[in-house]
Amino acid sequence: MVDMSVNLGGLPMKNPVTTASGTFAAGMEYSDFVDVAALGAVTTKGVSLNGWEGNASPRIAETPSGMLNSIGLQNPGVAHLKEVELPWLAQKGATTIVNVSGHSFSEYVQVIEALEDAPVDAYEVNISCPNVDAGGMTIGTDPNSVTEVVGLCRAATNRPLIVKLTPNVTDITEIARAAEAAGADALSLINTLMGMAIDAERRKPVLARVVGGFSGPAVKPVALRMVWECHKAVKVPLLGMGGISNGTDAVEFMLAGATAVAVGTANFFNPHATQETIDGIYAYCERHGVGRVADLIGALEC
Amino acid sequence: MGLINETVQVVSNQQVGPRLHLMVLDAPAIAAGIQPGQFVHMKVPRMEAHILRRPFSVYVRDVEAGTIDILYQVVGFGTDHMTSLQPGEECELIGPVGAVWNPPAQGRCLLVGGGVGAAPLFMLCESIVASDASVDVVLGAQTEAALVCRDRYAKLLGDEPRCATDDGTYGRAGFCTSLVQEALQQAAEEGAPYDYVAVCGPEPLMKIVAGLAADAGVRCEVSMEKRMACGIGACLSCVVDTVDGKKRACVDGPVFDAGKVVW
Repeated sequence: MVDMSVNLGGLPMKNPVTTASGTFAAGMEYSDFVDVAALGAVTTKGVSLNGWEGNASPRIAETPSGMLNSIGLQNPGVAHLKEVELPWLAQKGATTIVNVSGHSFSEYVQVIEALEDAPVDAYEVNISCPNVDAGGMTIGTDPNSVTEVVGLCRAATNRPLIVKLTPNVTDITEIARAAEAAGADALSLINTLMGMAIDAERRKPVLARVVGGFSGPAVKPVALRMVWECHKAVKVPLLGMGGISNGTDAVEFMLAGATAVAVGTANFFNPHATQETIDGIYAYCERHGVGRVADLIGALEC
Repeated sequence: MGLINETVQVVSNQQVGPRLHLMVLDAPAIAAGIQPGQFVHMKVPRMEAHILRRPFSVYVRDVEAGTIDILYQVVGFGTDHMTSLQPGEECELIGPVGAVWNPPAQGRCLLVGGGVGAAPLFMLCESIVASDASVDVVLGAQTEAALVCRDRYAKLLGDEPRCATDDGTYGRAGFCTSLVQEALQQAAEEGAPYDYVAVCGPEPLMKIVAGLAADAGVRCEVSMEKRMACGIGACLSCVVDTVDGKKRACVDGPVFDAGKVVW
């Protein structure tokens, strides 16, 4: 038996695998394929206070070994999440991380305050979405803004606070240190890389918003490098993501320093990707005589 | 039925018209459950760098044989690659996905299929033929060779569907919208107006037909196609603008009340 449990900054997880926000909704859509209670956690789609319409279409483009998206955090608002999805997750026995979004510092705090009486196990503060004009990545690229918004969120809750980082910065460890110093219990990385796709025949961008967030297997080397850098730079645990499609990918992130991992874009092409990743990590541990999966964290031999 | 991810086998895969191909898949579970209007989301083998699945409507299903037929048009890398799939090859299908057509139990129905849009209406046509309602069919295509569903419709209806080709090589010359307009008008003049119009095809065609139906006071449904990632309602890639806000083409549609679509 392999002990698959990990602790992500005060959030006990039965195994290291969660979902990357925005790729799994709140799990209901995947319920024919995945038992949400079997996952380490479900990380829900970013939620704002009153809901957002999101961006114009086309919203996605396929690119070599990856894709671009510019959904723009379309969501029905925190009241809907509390009324429909969170009770469903609780009833299913899932561990729930809610991804919190906002257009302003105060909106992040208001969303957290609205969720404090709901069945939520941890928050993931999204200061890294590349697809909105206000909030999101505009905050996550400036250490002072990071310090301020994380500090405000920290004051609003005693629950585990995960801060999700953008890779679209010169030095991600600078942002990581700022979030840690402001009270983050854990850091998740990476959000999508800014990219674009062009239709040469029409001389037009493929995405209506021109630029979007790049994800999928193609980004894995960048994500691994950033997890490894942050692992050396901060003490708080890391939730690694970026192109994870199977157990081997997940193990690579844990060796680089991640305590837990998220499966994202892979859910789109393989609805069983989360469970297969858990099974793959387990099989790796058995094959390598690893009794506790937590022993893999940062075990890279350089 | 709920969604399944079925590993299926290619039975045959042949060109049937200009850039038009017909793939028959051995997919017994999905064949048994799929309803008119629903689609399947295909993971095409041997194109790993193209990571996303492709959504396809089902043209014909044979519950006894356990097969479904997919009529597809080559429009890009994925569909071009699909033409190379050989009988016996395996692929994965998520299905049956999406909302169904809602024809009336009785009365007159008019189905309008533009190009490969003729395919997702065929199972609907079968169900109407089997019901107490009556059905007329209008098909449009660029040229005669692209009217690949015509024979099957004719056999089902016991009569020729009304056809138009852009180049005039078969039926009415020009767009099939003129046939739709005439059919609506004629039915109204006969005192037996249509109760329902269903249309599938290029978006400009659907918009025009939806407008004609609205002008005639006839309920109309459209089948929307958008770029999809997950295909099961989670990613919000494929949204359609409606009077009730943005709706997902995959699970809130693909069939929508035409009166609610914001074109």
